[in-house]
Amino acid sequence: MLRTWESPVRAPAEVDPMLLWSALILLVAGMVMVYSASIAIAEGGRFTGHQPTYFLVRHAVFLCIGLVAAIAAFQLPLKTWQEISPWLFVAGFALLALVLVPGLGRDVNGARRWLPLGVANLQPSELMKLFAVLYAADYTVRKMPHMGDLKKAFLPMAGAMVAVGVLLLKEPDFGAFVVIIAIAMGILFLGGMRARLFAILIVLLLVAFAAMIIVSPYRRDRIFGFMDPWSDAFGRGYQLSHALIAFGRGEFFGVGLGASVEKLFYLPEAHTDFLLAVIAEELGFFGVVAVIALFALIVQRAFAIGQQAVTLDRLYPALVAQGIGIWLGVQAFINMGVNMGLLPTKGLTLPLMSFGGSGIVANCAALAILLRVDWENRQLMRGAKL
Amino acid sequence: MRLKGRLAHRFAESPVLLLRLPAWRSRMVALLIIAAFAALIGRSFYLQVLNNDFLQEKGDSRYRRDLEISASRGRISDRNGDILAVSTPMKSIWAIPADARLSPEQSQQLARLLETDPKELARKLASDKSFIFLHRQIPPETAEKIAALKLPGIGQNTEYRRYYPTGEMTAHMVGFTGIDGKGLEGVELAFQNQLLGHPGSRSVIKDRRGQIVEDVGSIRPPQDGEDIRLALDSKIQYLAYSQLKQAIEQNRAKAGGIAVIDARSGEVLALANWPTYNPNNRESLSGGQLRNRAVTDAFEPGSTLKPFTIALALEKGRVRFDTQIDCAPGKLTIGTATISDSHPHGPLTVAQVIQKSSNVGAAKIAAMLAPQEMWDMFDEVGFGQVPELGFPGEVTGRLRPWKRWRPIEQATMSYGHGISVSLIQLARAYTVFARDGELIPLSLTRQEPGVLKGTQVFSPQTVREVRAMLEMAVLPGGTALKAQVPGYRVAGKTGTAHKLEGGVYADRYVASFVGMAPATEPRLIVAVMIDEPSAGKYYGGEVAAPVFSSVMGAALRTLGVPADASVRVATGDAEKESL
Repeated sequence: MLRTWESPVRAPAEVDPMLLWSALILLVAGMVMVYSASIAIAEGGRFTGHQPTYFLVRHAVFLCIGLVAAIAAFQLPLKTWQEISPWLFVAGFALLALVLVPGLGRDVNGARRWLPLGVANLQPSELMKLFAVLYAADYTVRKMPHMGDLKKAFLPMAGAMVAVGVLLLKEPDFGAFVVIIAIAMGILFLGGMRARLFAILIVLLLVAFAAMIIVSPYRRDRIFGFMDPWSDAFGRGYQLSHALIAFGRGEFFGVGLGASVEKLFYLPEAHTDFLLAVIAEELGFFGVVAVIALFALIVQRAFAIGQQAVTLDRLYPALVAQGIGIWLGVQAFINMGVNMGLLPTKGLTLPLMSFGGSGIVANCAALAILLRVDWENRQLMRGAKL
Repeated sequence: MRLKGRLAHRFAESPVLLLRLPAWRSRMVALLIIAAFAALIGRSFYLQVLNNDFLQEKGDSRYRRDLEISASRGRISDRNGDILAVSTPMKSIWAIPADARLSPEQSQQLARLLETDPKELARKLASDKSFIFLHRQIPPETAEKIAALKLPGIGQNTEYRRYYPTGEMTAHMVGFTGIDGKGLEGVELAFQNQLLGHPGSRSVIKDRRGQIVEDVGSIRPPQDGEDIRLALDSKIQYLAYSQLKQAIEQNRAKAGGIAVIDARSGEVLALANWPTYNPNNRESLSGGQLRNRAVTDAFEPGSTLKPFTIALALEKGRVRFDTQIDCAPGKLTIGTATISDSHPHGPLTVAQVIQKSSNVGAAKIAAMLAPQEMWDMFDEVGFGQVPELGFPGEVTGRLRPWKRWRPIEQATMSYGHGISVSLIQLARAYTVFARDGELIPLSLTRQEPGVLKGTQVFSPQTVREVRAMLEMAVLPGGTALKAQVPGYRVAGKTGTAHKLEGGVYADRYVASFVGMAPATEPRLIVAVMIDEPSAGKYYGGEVAAPVFSSVMGAALRTLGVPADASVRVATGDAEKESL
């Protein structure tokens, strides 16, 4: 022990320290900010029993469950993940269908996204994001020889996505739908799907999105609210205008941890979807930049780990690692873009930080799998056999 | 390392693999995401650094509020510091109906504490106004209980409620304020600018439930109003008020007024009226109770004006103290009108005209004076002018221009008819007799003697002679034996005036007495007026003089004025005075 300590040559890390620390910092900072953002509504709300730590305690419990899930997920080799991925995808699909069964799913604010599990609620769409990564990667690896073929390579996946999409839009959970489509498309693209086909697909998807937005008044309203929140600042633009005010109040260094005014019943969903606005108000521009930088680091490490796996001829782990990078990157970008008024408001949390049990557990498991890919890479590079 | 290098070399040479997972795609996707993050940083910089003024302004308009910090109104005290009016903090309960979503249980509790009907409360809270008062000026203890309920959308602020410890006794003098704290009557109105506090302000941030989160910016402290110390002496005021009230009850009179003035300084030591009211409870007030009759109501003073006519004739040298005036047969016809004495007299000296209060004598002396001379004198002693005490509704009284006087008018004015004055004007005019001919302004606030400069109306010699005549009026052979004060020499004059009703003199009277003491060096002037005594007696010497006597005596003793006569009171049958 003593000798190891004194040794000038440090043992090579078992897993990527940058990735691990970035994720841990975001998780801990998220817990602090969830507490700060929720303390007023928790103390003022009747459903929380006026307990100021109501959300903090729950978030901490979810983090523990997430940690357990992460440790468990890390134990499984990627080979095993690949083997069970179709089944996970089917299970996720079944859960999404269960949510819609009358009497089973639970409504909150007009959206049916949760399955009550006694003490807590399960949000299958959060799990489905992880399953989509695992399944799309497996699918792509299997279809690798036919990547140029529209019928063989693309249509089955498109069919699966349409099925999942129908269920998600029924809830509705437009945010999860966008993220899952982004994951599937991204992995197909990385897997070498023909570029021309891809371009056509993007155009088609854009047209489909546009049509959906035009047809559904609910989504159209959200679009208009985001374009100019000040024209109807106390109606459709209420939430976004308060998020923007929070950013404006934060300036460079913020009003100080705990000193947000927006969280005092003005900004709805301050501890979930609009957590970044509270970070922006309390910790300022530098707080926001730090959060963005940490997410950028995680995305960069995910792609680097993926590339490393490619060089090791490990296609499935490579696609899984990059798929997780796409997932966390895209979801973080959409959530932050919504907070800043760059994107229309939709129900997406900030990964690793926002309050929400299923999301936190799924994020932790995903990070564990990413670390497992890295660990396996390192093992292989040391010449060890898996 | 060697292993890694070899592996890398091997894979790099594999064209199949390069085709399968093109590295540029991976780099492109990663770059796209990083670029999107960079865009977020740009947007964040725009919102937080470049455009934050606009956003903060929007935020301020939503939760920054300027609050008023109420300032207390100045206290009003008497000359000895006894409190006549004081503001005590009370709480007013308000609601923002849109935020005030109360459970049935909470509504019940609130209604009970506010002592209102729950239905009435529910009706108020259903209002579509953005701000309403639920109850104004409740005791702080009740307000604390309401605050402890922590009801959403319900708040409170401090207001001050005015208390008048001396109540109805000083009601007309002190006046009162409205619910907004502004003076409406009396000293409260007269000294509004000094008494009024200037509220401060603070800027706060409130959460959406209306609770104050923090102060922002600087706090402007409230400036409390100045305290006002009046010349009024509570003890004398009490005497004056209670004696007046007693006399009015005994004589079943309609109304009355009394004023006590310090002849040396012009200070108003007491001023009371009846009927009066309780300023602490003004729910059932009529205009009659509110009227500060001593300054707002003019009346024909009657014989109390005779000394002015006589003094002018003495001053002008038309008569001397002992000039004989033939008052027989107690009647005098001027033009078509006849004036008369209530008891016919024969020849009277000028002094006796005052002592016996002969109308005929006064009219004959007035005939020696030019109308302009009389008008100028009345004007100089303040009749027909606003007394300028600062009270609301001060009247000038009626003094017609001398050019339009008919001879009969000049004759009746000599004994106080055809002219009207307020009680305070009359009391002030008597300062010329108390101060060797000088008329001084009156003051509601404390005043050192000799500060207020007056105007010399009569010569000291004239005034000494008139004062001697006024002393005769309260001695045996005079009209006002009951005005005597044990231990002091008194000089004064009765008045008993018919009331004018619809242009005709009716059998209703205003009895009055104005006098001063000690006569050797007058310190106080007391003027008493009793309106429509209806218990039989109606002469000023019978109705008003006793009030004068008791108030003057007690006031002089209170002030410690040295006696200038024996304590024995001269007796004798008071002769009935003329009108």
